[in-house]
Amino acid sequence: MSVLAELPGRDVHLWPMVWKLLRLRILILSSGFRRARLRRKIGILVLGVVLLAFLGFIFFLSWSLLRFLRSPQLTQFVGDVGPFLESIPVLVMGGSFLGILLTSFGVLLQALYLAGDMDFLLSAPIPIRAVFITKLLQAILPNFSLICVFALPVLYGLGASQGYNLLYYPAVLLVLAGLALAAAGISSLLVMGIVRIFPARRVAEVLGFVGAVTSFICSQSGQFARFSDVSQDQAVQAFQALERFNTPWSPLAWAGRGVVSLGAGQWLAGAGFLLLSLGLAALVFGVALTTAERLYYTGWASMQGIRRKKKVTRVARVQREQPLKARLVGLIPPAVRAIILKDAYVLRRDLRNMSQLITPLILGIVYAIMFLRSGGEAPPGRGEAPAWFMEITRNMLVYGNVGISLFVGWMLIARLGGMGFSQEGKSYWLLKTAPVGTGQLVAAKFSVAFIPSVVLGWGFLLVISFLQRASLGMLVFTMIVVALCVAGSAGINLAFGIIGANMNWEDPRQMQKGGAGCLGALASMLYLPLSLVFFFGPSVLVTMLGWMEQWGQITGLLIGGAFSLTCALVPLWMVRKRVQLLGED
Amino acid sequence: MTIPLIETQHLDKQYGEKTAVSDVSFEVHAGEIFGFLGPNGAGKTTTIKMIVGLLRPSSGWVKVAGYDVQTQSLQAKAASGYVPDTPNLYPKLTGRELLRFVGDLYGLERLQVERRIDELLRLLDLQEAGDETIDSYSHGMQQKTALAAALIHDPRVLVLDEPTVGLDPKSARLIKDILRQMANRGAAVFLSTHILEIAERMCDRIGIINQGQLIASGTMDDLRSLGKGEGEDAQAGSLEDIFLGLTGGAEYAEIAEVLK
Repeated sequence: MSVLAELPGRDVHLWPMVWKLLRLRILILSSGFRRARLRRKIGILVLGVVLLAFLGFIFFLSWSLLRFLRSPQLTQFVGDVGPFLESIPVLVMGGSFLGILLTSFGVLLQALYLAGDMDFLLSAPIPIRAVFITKLLQAILPNFSLICVFALPVLYGLGASQGYNLLYYPAVLLVLAGLALAAAGISSLLVMGIVRIFPARRVAEVLGFVGAVTSFICSQSGQFARFSDVSQDQAVQAFQALERFNTPWSPLAWAGRGVVSLGAGQWLAGAGFLLLSLGLAALVFGVALTTAERLYYTGWASMQGIRRKKKVTRVARVQREQPLKARLVGLIPPAVRAIILKDAYVLRRDLRNMSQLITPLILGIVYAIMFLRSGGEAPPGRGEAPAWFMEITRNMLVYGNVGISLFVGWMLIARLGGMGFSQEGKSYWLLKTAPVGTGQLVAAKFSVAFIPSVVLGWGFLLVISFLQRASLGMLVFTMIVVALCVAGSAGINLAFGIIGANMNWEDPRQMQKGGAGCLGALASMLYLPLSLVFFFGPSVLVTMLGWMEQWGQITGLLIGGAFSLTCALVPLWMVRKRVQLLGED
Repeated sequence: MTIPLIETQHLDKQYGEKTAVSDVSFEVHAGEIFGFLGPNGAGKTTTIKMIVGLLRPSSGWVKVAGYDVQTQSLQAKAASGYVPDTPNLYPKLTGRELLRFVGDLYGLERLQVERRIDELLRLLDLQEAGDETIDSYSHGMQQKTALAAALIHDPRVLVLDEPTVGLDPKSARLIKDILRQMANRGAAVFLSTHILEIAERMCDRIGIINQGQLIASGTMDDLRSLGKGEGEDAQAGSLEDIFLGLTGGAEYAEIAEVLK
C-alpha cells in the first residue's frame, strides 16, 4: 500500500466537501457579524427589518396593481389584460434568468479566478468540482437574493390577486432557483472559455468599464422618453408586445407557463412545463459542472503563466522643446509636473477609472440635448406663476449652458478631487519619501482635478454656446465663470478627500473613509448654486432694471470670483497639516 | 571618524497603548553598511519608516545627512533613497515612466534622468521590461524597480527593508554588490534582513532590536563579546547563535533537536 493511500483525506466526497467550504463561508460571515461594532450590528439588523418591510410593500403594491389591471375602467382603455397578467410570470422569470446570466459573469470571474483564496483551495486536497460549486453558489447567491427581493413579491402578489392554489408558491421559488443555477452555469462556461483566451484581470477591467458605461447609458436614456405623450394605441401595442414573450416554443417561457398552469389547477400542463424547464436547467448546470473540472483547472493553471503581451509605450523623446513652451512648462515645478503627468497616465490606463470619468460626459450629453430640445425656455407650467418670477427664470436660463457645463465639471471633480490623494493607495510611500513639500503636493492634486474638469466644462460650454449662437462677450464671461466655479469646487472636494483619504485600500470602492466623500460632494453641491447667484445675480438684476448687462457681469465676476477663490484656497489651507500625516494610519 | 549620515536619538513610537519602538539610538556613518536585525514584530519596519519620514516618532528624533527628518524633511528626503519590504509601485506605469517620475520628484535634470534610467535598467537587467507596465512584472522585477527608483538620484543614504526577499540568487547577489559599491563610494547603507548570513557577510556593523528596544549594536566582534554571548562558545559563535541568545530564541533550537 502506498504512503499516499494511507494519508487521511484521500477518500474525499464531493458534497461533504462543498458543505465544508460553504460552512467556512458562513463561519466567516457570522464571525464578521459577531465581531462587528455595536453600531454596525444595529445597522445590519435595521437593514434586515427595512428589507422585510420593503418585501411586504412590493407584495402589497403588486397585489393592488394587479387587481387594478383587471378593473373595468382599465379594460375599457387597453382591452382585456388577462393574457398579459398570465404572461407576467414568464416575463419576470425570463428577466430573472437573463439578469443573473448577465450580472453573474463579472461576479463569477472574480470568484472563480481572481479571489485571494484560490491558491490555498487548489493546493489543498479538495476536489476541483467542490471548489467550483462552492464558488458558483457563493457568486450567485447575492444576485439570486436580490432578484428574489424584487421578483418574489411580484409573483406572490400575482398569485394572491389571481387566487392561485398553494402549490404555486413553492413552485415559483423552486423554478427561480433552477433558473438561477442554469444561468450561472452558462455564465461560468462563458467565463472559463474567455479566461482561456484573455487574462482574467484584463477581462474584469474591460467588463467593469463596459458594464458601468452601458448601465449608465441605459439609465439615462429614459430621460429622452416622454411618457405623457403615450397614446391608447401605443399602450395596447406595448401590452401586446410583452405578451409575445409568452410563447410555448420559448424555453424561457416554460418556467412561467408551468407555475401559472399549476396555480390555475391545470396539473398536466403545469407539471409538463415545470419538468421541462427544471430538466433543462439541470442539464445546463450538469454540463457546466462536468466541463468545469477540465476547463476550470486548466484555465486557472494556465493563468498563472500568462504574461502580458509586451506593451510598447511611447519612449520619451528627449528633444529640444520650443522656447516658449519650455519657458511655460518651466514655470511649473518639476515635482508638480511629474505628479500631474503620472496621474494622467494612471487614470487613462486603468479602465476602472475610465468608467467613472466617462459618466459625467454621458450625463452632460444627455442634459445638453434636453436643454437644447427645450429651446432654453422656461416651462410655462399652468401659467399661474407671477410675471416677475417668469422674467427672472428666463434671465437665469440664459446661463443654462453654464449650469450644464458646471454640472459636468462638478461630477468629474467629485471623482478627481475627492479621490485625488486616496487613489495613490499603497504606492503613496513613493510621494511621501520624496522631497516634495505639502504645497507642491496639494498644487499637483488640485491641478489634476481642476484641469480636466475645466477643459470638459469649457468643451460643453463652447458647443452649447455655438449652437445657441451666443455672443463672444457672453462666451468669454461664461468661460471665466466656469473656470472660477470649478476651481472652488476642486478646492472643496480635494479638502474633503484629504480628510477622508484611505491609502490602505484593496478595492477602489474603499478609497474613502467614513462619509468624507459624501460630505465633500454635498458641500460642493451647496457651493455651486451659491456661487452662481453671486456670478449671475448682478447680471440678472441689471437686465431687469434695464441697465447695461456688462456692468452686472463685471460686478458678478468680482463678487463671484472672490467667493470661488476663497472656496478654492481656504479649505485646502485648513487641511494642510492633515496632508503631512497622510499614509501614517 | 566619519560623519554620521543616519542618527537616531531616543526614538520612540507608540500606537495607542502599544509601544512599537522604545528609546532607540544609533548612528550609521558614511561608507558603512548597517544591518538591522530582529524577530518578527520587533520594530524594524517601524524604525525604518521613521528614518525615511513615513512615520512620525512619538518622541526622539532622526537625522539623515545631518538634517532632522521632521523639521527639515525635504533636505533629509532629498539625501535618502528607500526600498520598502513590499514594493507597491504604480501598476499602470511602465518601469521607465516610474523612474522618470521619481527623477522629476527629486528635481533631476531631464537628460540626467534619462541617462540614469538607461544605466539602472541595464544594471538591474530590466532593459526589456522597461517599457512594459509594472502590473506585468514579477515580484523580483518589482523589487529591482523599487531599488532603481531609490538609486535614481544617487542618494547619500540608502535605507532598505528586507531587500533580498523574493529575489533569485543572481539578483540577490547583484543587490549585495550594488550596496557594497554604494558604501565604498561613501554612502551610508541601512538594511533590515532576516537572512543572518547576509548580515554577517555584508554588514560592517549590526544592530539587534527586540520588543522595540535596541538590545545590541556594534561589529561582529562587539556582538560576540556581549552579555549572553560570554564564554568560549559564544566567542567563536555565529551571528545566528548571538541573535538567538540575545532575542531568546535559543530554546527553539533545542526543541528542534528533540524533534529530529
